[in-house]
Amino acid sequence: MDIFWFVTFAVLLAGYFALEGFDIGLGVLLPFLGRSREGRDRLVAAMAPFVLANEVWLVALAGLLFGAFPVLEGRVLSGLYPVVVALLLSWILRDAGLWFRRRADGAAWRTLWDAVLWAGSAGLAVTWGVVLAGVARGLPPAPFDLPGLAAGVVVLALFAFHGRAFAAWRLSGEPTAGDPAAGHPTTGGPRRGGRALLASGLVAALPAVVAMAALASEMLGNAAPDRTLTFLGVIVVPFAPVLVGAQVWVWRAFGRGALPSFF
Amino acid sequence: MDVVGLARAQFAVTGSLHFLFVVLTLGLAPLVAIMNTRHVLSGNPLHERMTRFWGQIYVINYALGVFTGLVMEFQFGLSWSRLSHYAGDVFGAPLAMETMIAFFLESTFLGLWIFGWHRLPRGLHLACIWLVTVTAYASALFVLVANAFLQHPAGAVERGGRLALTDPGALFTNPTLVIALPHVIGAGLTTAGFTVIGASAYHLFRRTAEREFFVRSLRVGVVTAFVGTLVVVGFGYAQFEPVKTYQPGKFGGAVPGTALDAMMGIGQTLQLIAMFGLLPLLFRDLLARWRWLHPVLMLMTPLPFVAAVCGWLAREVGRQPWLVYGKLTVADALTPGLTRTDVTTSFAGFVTVLGLLALVDYALIARAVRRGPSRVALGAADDPAAPLPVPAPTF
Repeated sequence: MDIFWFVTFAVLLAGYFALEGFDIGLGVLLPFLGRSREGRDRLVAAMAPFVLANEVWLVALAGLLFGAFPVLEGRVLSGLYPVVVALLLSWILRDAGLWFRRRADGAAWRTLWDAVLWAGSAGLAVTWGVVLAGVARGLPPAPFDLPGLAAGVVVLALFAFHGRAFAAWRLSGEPTAGDPAAGHPTTGGPRRGGRALLASGLVAALPAVVAMAALASEMLGNAAPDRTLTFLGVIVVPFAPVLVGAQVWVWRAFGRGALPSFF
Repeated sequence: MDVVGLARAQFAVTGSLHFLFVVLTLGLAPLVAIMNTRHVLSGNPLHERMTRFWGQIYVINYALGVFTGLVMEFQFGLSWSRLSHYAGDVFGAPLAMETMIAFFLESTFLGLWIFGWHRLPRGLHLACIWLVTVTAYASALFVLVANAFLQHPAGAVERGGRLALTDPGALFTNPTLVIALPHVIGAGLTTAGFTVIGASAYHLFRRTAEREFFVRSLRVGVVTAFVGTLVVVGFGYAQFEPVKTYQPGKFGGAVPGTALDAMMGIGQTLQLIAMFGLLPLLFRDLLARWRWLHPVLMLMTPLPFVAAVCGWLAREVGRQPWLVYGKLTVADALTPGLTRTDVTTSFAGFVTVLGLLALVDYALIARAVRRGPSRVALGAADDPAAPLPVPAPTF
């Protein structure tokens, strides 16, 4: 059972990087790809229906860490205390930017929360790099050092690359009525960028895969007893088809067509 | 304050904030699901407007439940790593189930519901909000399984200085769980009921154009508050027996005692008001017509929230000094080597960020209530898709 849960853990981490990576990356690119308010609204609307389904991969990951590898959970989270706190604050601010940006009128309100969204996304990408570098180096006492921050910049670049590919894929080729007043002529044509998105997803997941490969023996040596792992399996595994089905449904429902405007 | 005190305060503040939002989520979810069902079955536009208006309140409130919940989840490993070490083989399992099944599905289906208007077939869209409701209650179950284990560590034995799981079934039949769960569900319904009552009273008092909408909403709120208070008070009293058996003297201290008294005072008052005041006044919509009562109804809105936080204070402070009752003290569960600077910094960060966001969120809820059902973003028409607004830079 320990191998099963380790593989599940690795899949969740890699999946989080491949999926939430483009949301974070797009958040970082928001001021660059969306120069106008309408442009930013479109970019956010493109990723909005995916964010809730993507970020839960990390919530599940942290829960599994506690349930199946509790000793490591305590050691890693407390060993990287300031980094984890920074990651959480970035994550919360990114989410707040998304949830709040369209809940009131006024240009200043939208600009404020877009800035929060940008800063949270950038902070989230960088702290993920610092976390992975910190774990790989055996929890150094000062994780925000040069190698840590360098890893952060690498993750930031990968996520931005991935976010760019997602935006190109999602916003391409739909035969839609653009809004000429906002400078978007009516467009149509074939959908493009699906393969590029797949490739950028694999690239974004790379840091997670490398970290998991490096930590395999450490994790397997610190798994919870078989009784606990079996109990988890008996309860969680029957739901696996529902979990996968719900994720697939999100992509089928929101991968194309008009952009929902709630976020 | 020492490091243990700071870490405890951090957990208490984030936990209390979390429950302020979660308690409304739990109560509003089934109401929105029922409204949505009535809309799908009847096709009545009023029910669609009710679904969208109360659904938007639900969704705005939900955001803060998530933000604070994230901090809760990670705080165990951050501040209480000796708990993970000592009891993680048992205590971690229900939390893993909560995140991997319940919250994972709740969040995914909520996304489908929020963004799926005009896109998913009506029946499937309706199924999403019901799945959100079911998974929200599953979340409550798993979290309370974990909490009940701290109150009364059933189903585990200590081996080699760590707790080992011996009886998984005992986690779910824990006597400090089975009565607390309906108590929490009753608290959620009470909170949602009085929130709907307060918001409806506001519009009726202001004599806005939405009279029919809020007369009907007021009825929904009163019935919900009546059911909720009945459940919460009934299962509140029923908890004294297991508490006396498993944690004698729990409410003896000043804080848990005062919190318990406040909660019970509010709960019983609200129950009496709902049963003998509000419910009978639904006759001929007297409650909606007696305008002088509406400010009172508005002022009652915060009371269930206060009671809910008091309830957790009584339950958790009354467990002190134990983290796992009779097995591990809070002081012993603290992460070794945790410095005052670490906790002070994180405490300040979490309180500032979550506190500000909570205030913004309540302001947004108040704004959504004030604007009324004619200006609701949830379920509005989509933006058209368009190519990237600027030429793509090359990497």
